[in-house]
Amino acid sequence: MKIESRHLAFIGLAVVVVIAMLVGGRPDLTPSADSVRMHEYIASLAPGSVVMVSFDHEASSLPEIGPLAKAFLRHAFSRGVKLVGVSLLAEGTGIGYRLMEETGREYDCEYGKDFVFLGFKPQWVAAIVAMGESISKTYPEDYLGNTYQDIPMLAGVVNYSDVAGVVSIADGSLTTHWMEYGHARYGITVSAFVAAAMVTTYDPYLASGQMHAMVGGLRGAAEYESLIGVGGSGGRAMLAQTVAHLYVIVLIILGNVVYFRSRHTGRK
Amino acid sequence: MDFGTLIAGILTLAIFTFLYRDNPIYRAAESLLIGVSIGYVLVITWTNTLMDLLFHPLFRRGDWPLVIPLLLGAMMFGRFYRRTGWLSRFPMAVLIGSGAGVAIPAMLDARTLRQISATVTPLFAGSAWADVSTIIVLAGVITTLSYFYFSREHRGALGFSSKTGTYFLMLFFGTTFGYTVMSRMSTFIGRVEFLLTDFLRLTG
Repeated sequence: MKIESRHLAFIGLAVVVVIAMLVGGRPDLTPSADSVRMHEYIASLAPGSVVMVSFDHEASSLPEIGPLAKAFLRHAFSRGVKLVGVSLLAEGTGIGYRLMEETGREYDCEYGKDFVFLGFKPQWVAAIVAMGESISKTYPEDYLGNTYQDIPMLAGVVNYSDVAGVVSIADGSLTTHWMEYGHARYGITVSAFVAAAMVTTYDPYLASGQMHAMVGGLRGAAEYESLIGVGGSGGRAMLAQTVAHLYVIVLIILGNVVYFRSRHTGRK
Repeated sequence: MDFGTLIAGILTLAIFTFLYRDNPIYRAAESLLIGVSIGYVLVITWTNTLMDLLFHPLFRRGDWPLVIPLLLGAMMFGRFYRRTGWLSRFPMAVLIGSGAGVAIPAMLDARTLRQISATVTPLFAGSAWADVSTIIVLAGVITTLSYFYFSREHRGALGFSSKTGTYFLMLFFGTTFGYTVMSRMSTFIGRVEFLLTDFLRLTG
């Protein structure tokens, strides 16, 4: 068994993360302006408003997307906002239903009355545009096989004009389509909880006003949890996130020192 | 510990073995992931799309215009044989034509016109910090665009501008890379949390 330098780097990362998780503790966070804006937006929705939440992610990003989604769902359910769940990626379907069902139970929310999950439709552009005309024609049945017309919460919800906004929970670029087709064509307010890797992709849309609010990454989840006053896995992971980043910075510095020293030695 | 948690824990550890080197345990877990993902997508697409939007409305409710998309979809399978391959050109033409028709105005509006509109703002209209920010955005846009102007040699003023543009590009790449590292760390931390809390039950 040959141990190389990259193996040592991986072992070091695992050690610092495991120690941080075992130690526990939640660093104090000052919520960013973006998180505050999202919090204010959800808080401004009148109880009974219908919001569409779109689970536009794959299963592999659940460790990051899960805390973000739960923070949003907890806030929405606690405010009495009614949620219509959809998914533009097949893998997000089972996860979206499970997250809504679990979080709804925490707030005694009833399926069909306080929230509903319509499921997946392929061809995201076609799905977004079709819902702008008629949600019931796009989703004749919900995820559980109930007919659209038989779901009490959906009585009177015809298209986007009956929905206060769309919240996309995404690990990729699917939120872009909500802005390009949902917002630009039907004028629906689009907000997003996204994986950290996508923050720079969506920043221009946020700056241009095409996206109303955005919360990004595990740090965003931790900030949102602190804003709604509910502990969650976002805050729990912040210490590990911090030490992992410090570890990476130390490795970068160390790598540069070794590189410049070896170059200096080579010149001699 | 329930059976699902046990399987998830074992598979997580199996995937982590790749950090040492490629091995049969990792490949077995990877193959399982691919197989389960494809199977899941197929089932969801069958129930939520073909049944909900095509077969149920067509055969239960007699929504006969749906015969057209059914035929177009069936013609796609013509590609599997050389002699019938030409049949797939018709649904492809519909797909590309309608797709481009829907996408071009929407993308032009959202990705170009609205971005230009948001960039062209008064230079001195807000607080001092907002003004500085606007000037940086203006400098970034002009110098980055000049970097992609290839009709003249990058010398003199154009050379200086394009060189400055590369620094703005590097800033963007650096920020994006930093966020991506953060994202991957979050995924790793999430799995470690699962292993410590649900699988090994070392933390509460």
